[in-house]
Amino acid sequence: MIYGDRKTGVIVQGATGQQGAFHLKLMNEYAKEVGGTGVVAGVTPGKGGQEVHGIPVYDSVRDALLEHDATTAVLFVPGGAAGDSIMEEAEAGVELVVAITEHIPVHDTMRAIAYAKLHGCAVIGPNCPGVLSPGELKLGIMPSSLFSRGHVGVISRSGTLTYEVVDELTRRGIGQSTVVGIGGDPVIGQTFSDVLARFEEDPATKAMVLIGEVGGNLEEEGAGSTDLPLVAYIAGVSAPPEKRMGHAGAIAEGGEGDAKGKIRRLRGLGIRVADRVSEIPDIVTDFL
Amino acid sequence: MKLLEYEAKEIFARSGIPTPQGGVVRVPEEVEKWLNLPGDRVVLKAQVEVGGRGKAGGVVITEKSEAVLKARDLFSKTIKGIAIREVLVEEFLPIQKEFYLAITVDRSSKGALLLFAESGGADIEDLAERDPRAVRRTLLSPLVPEVPQFMLRYLTGKAPKEVGQVIQALYRVFREKDAILAEINPLASTARGMVAADAKLIVDDNALKRQGIAVNRDLSMRERVAEENGFSYVDLAGTIGVIGNGAGLTMATLDLIEYYKGSAANFLDVGGGAGEERVKLAVQLVAENPSVNVIVVNLLGGITRCDEVARGIISAGVSQRVIVRLAGTNEEEGRRLLAERGYEMLGNMDEVVRAALEVKG
Repeated sequence: MIYGDRKTGVIVQGATGQQGAFHLKLMNEYAKEVGGTGVVAGVTPGKGGQEVHGIPVYDSVRDALLEHDATTAVLFVPGGAAGDSIMEEAEAGVELVVAITEHIPVHDTMRAIAYAKLHGCAVIGPNCPGVLSPGELKLGIMPSSLFSRGHVGVISRSGTLTYEVVDELTRRGIGQSTVVGIGGDPVIGQTFSDVLARFEEDPATKAMVLIGEVGGNLEEEGAGSTDLPLVAYIAGVSAPPEKRMGHAGAIAEGGEGDAKGKIRRLRGLGIRVADRVSEIPDIVTDFL
Repeated sequence: MKLLEYEAKEIFARSGIPTPQGGVVRVPEEVEKWLNLPGDRVVLKAQVEVGGRGKAGGVVITEKSEAVLKARDLFSKTIKGIAIREVLVEEFLPIQKEFYLAITVDRSSKGALLLFAESGGADIEDLAERDPRAVRRTLLSPLVPEVPQFMLRYLTGKAPKEVGQVIQALYRVFREKDAILAEINPLASTARGMVAADAKLIVDDNALKRQGIAVNRDLSMRERVAEENGFSYVDLAGTIGVIGNGAGLTMATLDLIEYYKGSAANFLDVGGGAGEERVKLAVQLVAENPSVNVIVVNLLGGITRCDEVARGIISAGVSQRVIVRLAGTNEEEGRRLLAERGYEMLGNMDEVVRAALEVKG
């Protein structure tokens, strides 16, 4: 429960779209199952006054917040408009935006995240599956049937690979405290270190699984910043080298970014790195 | 998508960054149109989307009298396997001093990273490694519309004041053109002032549409077909065809093949929520590759429904063996459909990969 609990009120922005409406329904089914509040309002400009699966839709976030208590928004707005929507949420006073949307232009993402920060609003994603605290809260699109409640926290840059790991953990009787998909884009809001800082404060979490990918150095930065026992897995060991980004990429990142180098640096920090996804539950068991 | 040098230079010139005089030609004879450029010599530069062009012989300085001949030579060459279809003809610039300037997206600070060095050229990376302080860096918040004066002073140091104006203009290009990289190497100091002797501009793939770019030239034919159908595909050199959903899970499947000493023929991520038709196309695209002797399907249903996936595999009807791992939404129905048709199904990714490795080509 690091980003909210069953009492958390949620807005879905882009509620009348196909994805938005479908997942609004699933989120509320989950809320009902755990006795939670769930989605209280939807927002789609121009569609105010409609309903989606029994939930009222408003033209703006401000309008929605006049009628409902919500601290959190889940975003399904298409890529070109999503940056603007994140800023709208932040300006209206929403504390957490979970941006599911993929293909947001990176300049929009950078601006929206910086603007949200000015308003004290945290952004998860974009291009992420969201957050799930089993038995408490589902924000986003994760398939809740694979999850079980327990003491392992999971942070991941990937969607389906997260489900894979969660599925393996659940089958082995290892429950999860909260699972956070931070998104696969080069620029994201909450990074490994931000999320780990929240897990550190969470009494339910006893161990961490960190699922990274090729590119950047946020895994190393995050893993080095926590005292929680942690196992990492990095996807992309067999990936061909990325297309070079001029000289600037090489100068800015040095040797960072490729999966093998990342694994080497993590091991250098004394962190256990699984070679295969199926090894993760065994290593986690050692921690519990 | 990476723009060609001449396209980047046109954009730079419109934004007030001086560029050499000249233009692009598509046949050697057209070079004659540019023989009225100042000086006795011209520079011919192959327009290809790969780095290391200069070292591969793609840049030729020639007397004007021999320019057409040299252009013929250049058009007959390939650079790293890529045919030369366009050549940029430019005035030969007597360069007094070279600088390095670049602006890129910084993942950690979530803003722009500006780089400047008082020496430029192809060896800039060696310099950065040998003497990291020779490349000055500043980070800039996306909420600041232009580069503040103090930053320009810090970056440029003792370089001419004019460099600051170029940095300012390049930052404008970086923002307005949705660039993930804008680079000038070298930025040349000449008798008529600062000139961008080379230009590199990479536009964010997620912003191509609003930048008016219809086709992403960085993608191969097969990759483009894949993209149009909502999945992503990359050709690799091995024999095991791979289909997964989600980049991470697909990548992990490839890693597992490597772990067990096999080799994958491709990366194919069918994307979220793939239906029967998309899965069918994906299976057929992978099977078309003559090196593929077995196909591994590793799908975890979330938005994607396993029954739809099963129908797609069945209707693709390919000749190679298909080994399937399905889990998640509507898993039972998917398994039932595949079992009816005699498809091989295994419970986890390690098992499907090991089974695929036992198939002989």
